[in-house]
Amino acid sequence: MSAPAFKVCMLGDFGVGKTSLVARFVRSTFAPKYLTTVGVKVDSKEVLSAQGTPIKFVLWDIAGRSTLDALGANYLRGASALLLVADGTREQSLSVALNLLMQSRAVLPDAVIALAVNKLDLVERWEVAPTTLAELRRSLPVFETSALSGDGVEGAFAAIAAGLSP
Amino acid sequence: MNAQPQLPPAVENYLRTFFLERTQPLLLSFDPHWNLRDVQGDAALFGIDAEAADGGVRELQDLFIGLSLDNDQDLPFVELSSGRSAHVHLIADTDGFHLLLLDAEDSRSRLRAQQQLGNEAVLAGQAKSKAISRLREIRSELERQRATLEEANALKNALIATLSHEFRTPLTSIFGYLHLLDRRGSDGAHAVQALSAIRRNATYLFTLAENLLEYGRGESGALLCGAAVDLRALARDIDEMIRPLAEDKGLHFSVQVAVDDPAPALFDEVRLRQIVINLLSNAVRYTAKGGIGATLAWRDGHLHVEVRDTGIGISPEFQASVFKPFNRGGQSGSKGAGLGLSIVRRLVEQMHGTMTLESQPACGTRFLIDLPPLERIAVIAEGRGHSALWVKDRYVLVVDDDPDIAHLLEALLLDLGFRVLIATDAAGALAEPRRQAPDVLLIDVEMPGLSGNAAVYQLRSHGYRGRIVTLSATSTVEARDASLRAGADHYLTKPLNVEQFVSVMQRVTQSD
Repeated sequence: MSAPAFKVCMLGDFGVGKTSLVARFVRSTFAPKYLTTVGVKVDSKEVLSAQGTPIKFVLWDIAGRSTLDALGANYLRGASALLLVADGTREQSLSVALNLLMQSRAVLPDAVIALAVNKLDLVERWEVAPTTLAELRRSLPVFETSALSGDGVEGAFAAIAAGLSP
Repeated sequence: MNAQPQLPPAVENYLRTFFLERTQPLLLSFDPHWNLRDVQGDAALFGIDAEAADGGVRELQDLFIGLSLDNDQDLPFVELSSGRSAHVHLIADTDGFHLLLLDAEDSRSRLRAQQQLGNEAVLAGQAKSKAISRLREIRSELERQRATLEEANALKNALIATLSHEFRTPLTSIFGYLHLLDRRGSDGAHAVQALSAIRRNATYLFTLAENLLEYGRGESGALLCGAAVDLRALARDIDEMIRPLAEDKGLHFSVQVAVDDPAPALFDEVRLRQIVINLLSNAVRYTAKGGIGATLAWRDGHLHVEVRDTGIGISPEFQASVFKPFNRGGQSGSKGAGLGLSIVRRLVEQMHGTMTLESQPACGTRFLIDLPPLERIAVIAEGRGHSALWVKDRYVLVVDDDPDIAHLLEALLLDLGFRVLIATDAAGALAEPRRQAPDVLLIDVEMPGLSGNAAVYQLRSHGYRGRIVTLSATSTVEARDASLRAGADHYLTKPLNVEQFVSVMQRVTQSD
């Protein structure tokens, strides 16, 4: 019997590292050159749920956007979870991620949500203040991640797995 | 006009051929349970193995998780596992559904090239804005530093000009009177007068030298060294030094001591002596008749120092400026380097005391100083490992991947009386505070894997409120600022200056 599958959408501004996070999580690889995503790329990986049973993540790496248009909303339909992604070196991308979260609530009112603030390897250049993330943690799980080094990546996806019930 | 044009058959045929060639349609027909019933088109083009057990459609099945198969669906630009892009359409039918895949590789490539250019332009624009903003900051910082340097240079020139005069005058006097003693011998009234003049000028030179040394230490000063002070002995020393100067000018002079508190008076005696001598030297210098006096009163756990004179006084408009270096308060006939009161104020502030000035021109001046006692502190740089009150029960987590450095820091901190735990990587820095939050985290910035700054950032973003001191081999302003932005309270550079290290540890533990 195959593991139950859950659609997990990666959502965030362009250039924040959504594709790189999926590549790190699924294939343990990192490509330093930025290549914009057009449309959507779907990957999958089996992980363990909070109960220890295997579940399958179907990861939708959706092209970066600053607002959720009809096409973006169409891609989200049927998703069980959202991994919002922001770039710590661009504070504006955090606002975009939070804006997308609010817009996506209309399509996915019950989705499991986590926020990955990416590019931790460039922490010296971060514009997002630690106090901002401390404040955000009161309302949603927040992970500082680095697709380059892998720091925090497993933790972010594990938090999503923990929120999904097979 | 008809929305659906009636096209000639030749045009319709052309369009059909054109569309089919462009999109390479693949039609997969399924029953309601995803069992493949029919394949029309080139499945291999899209990387689908229609001969496989599951029809090679598991990937396509994943696209419709959570969606109804009874409604038409349209998913544009889906990158399949083969890397090829397709528009994927689900078309509901009475006895199942069809998946229609239209090749979108060419249009994806064109769109990607356009978007790539657009996105890179936006990212470059943001980077450019940041760079310009940073350049403005650097320029502003450079201008500020230039102003500081110009001010420092002016101060240096003022200092050299002043010192040249201030050293030559007493030295001229000393050499002159020594010459007289040589010629006339050491007996008689002239010899007493000569010795008195030599003592007066030597005392002045001593005070000047002490002040210069203190001035050279800068605003942060040296570490204060607390010990029980014998106030009566201190008063005797001061009396012996100042009385001859006062009596030379025919001034009354007295030093009074009152010890009403049985507890030992813990102070930095050298600094305390410097304060009183500076104030009394000034009093002698600016008093022509009447008298000068000092009182040292150890009462209610505080030391009250009063120095008074009947000298020329200080006008109200100059009372604030007399505490600035090289400023003599506009006193007529002023002498001296103008350092004394600025150093007194600095020392009083370092000792967490207060100072007030009361003065009336032509009537005299009174300085009132109130000093709290210092606690004994350990000065490990001098090899004295006394346990200090400010580290009582404080716990420090040291994080450094270099075991030699980690153990050196541990030894220094143990000498200071801290409890110490060592972690060798940033993961330890993140894990340990969740078990037992340290009062102070001392962490190396350059570590393999997660950097010290990243660990500091994560601790702060998780609400850690303890003190954080980062250590780094990089001494640039940018590196320091980055560390402080990540959440550190202090940034120290290697090689470690032990006195600075102790001072920082003192500050972080006392500021809680």
